[in-house]
Amino acid sequence: MAGGGGLEAPEVSGGKGSKKYLKKGRGVHIDMTPMVDVIMLLLTFFMLTTTLSAPQLMKVSLPKGDVKDKVKVDMGNVLYVRVSDKGNVYFAQGNPDGSESAMKRIEIKNVATELEKIFAVNDQLLLLLKFDRKMKYNVMSDVFDEISRAKIEKRYAFIKMEDVDLQKIIEAGG
Amino acid sequence: MTPLVDVIMLLLTFFMLTATFRAAESEAVEVALPQSVYSDPDNKMKEIDVMTLSLTKDGDIFLDVDNYKIREKIFGDQFAIGLFRPDTLTQSPVQTTGKVGGKEVKRKVYLMNKAQFEKTLVDVKTALKTVSGNKSAQFQVVVKGDKEVPYGVFEDLMTSLHESDNKVFSLVTLIKSEVKE
Repeated sequence: MAGGGGLEAPEVSGGKGSKKYLKKGRGVHIDMTPMVDVIMLLLTFFMLTTTLSAPQLMKVSLPKGDVKDKVKVDMGNVLYVRVSDKGNVYFAQGNPDGSESAMKRIEIKNVATELEKIFAVNDQLLLLLKFDRKMKYNVMSDVFDEISRAKIEKRYAFIKMEDVDLQKIIEAGG
Repeated sequence: MTPLVDVIMLLLTFFMLTATFRAAESEAVEVALPQSVYSDPDNKMKEIDVMTLSLTKDGDIFLDVDNYKIREKIFGDQFAIGLFRPDTLTQSPVQTTGKVGGKEVKRKVYLMNKAQFEKTLVDVKTALKTVSGNKSAQFQVVVKGDKEVPYGVFEDLMTSLHESDNKVFSLVTLIKSEVKE
């Protein structure tokens, strides 16, 4: 009985088993095309709506107090940074008596290194930024970028450009 | 087929995880941002409560707030956008053609003069405090300036920001990958 059953049973179950194996294992084919279509659509959607280049921010702090407030600065501790309408940068160091040294033209890409050199001698300097009103905005962001990159204590003030400054710039080459 | 699906799945996961959506209405005014190398790790763009001041090439300043409730309160329209032109001698091209940089401004433009602009800057700040119910709620003020805009416009904007007690703000730039030698 047991032997006969043992002989018969494998035959039957083996036959059925191999049929199932064929059906599920090798013969069954799942059509993946609709899934791929949906995934492709999702992929396209995400690729088009995403913004990969995250904008970055440059912090600007204006001085506290009223616009009309006058702040006294030691004229010997200032560095004039003048930028012409063409985007040329000029440095001039202030003297205690109110005068200033001759203007020196600096390439924009060298502003950070020049500032570091000047601040190595005197680290108490205040930057007085005088930009021409007709100058392009990206020149200002470049100068600001350079000031941020220079490893100095960032102390600066935006000052209105006067006719005297314009005259100085023209004399120095525009 | 299976390897292809695998790769696509990976790409999909990547884009799904890195995606940051931009609201269609925030693109009302597009400007060509300048690039900068220095990046401040402590200063990141906030997701909410951002006041955006866009300076277009033509010298217009657009004032936008990300909260529609505040926009409705200030401008009387949920999708309005404020416009201030420091140069009063010429007219803004938005007024004549309704376009900024060749692109139509779909949102209602609310024109302001200098006094109104400065008042709005203050009003927007107080509106945030009442709308959110948080007395210490603060706006992050960001300035999106076009590369080509004359500095004078920015100088006038700084004066207005100073007058309206917005003394800290940030300039939005794009990351410049190559470091200048």
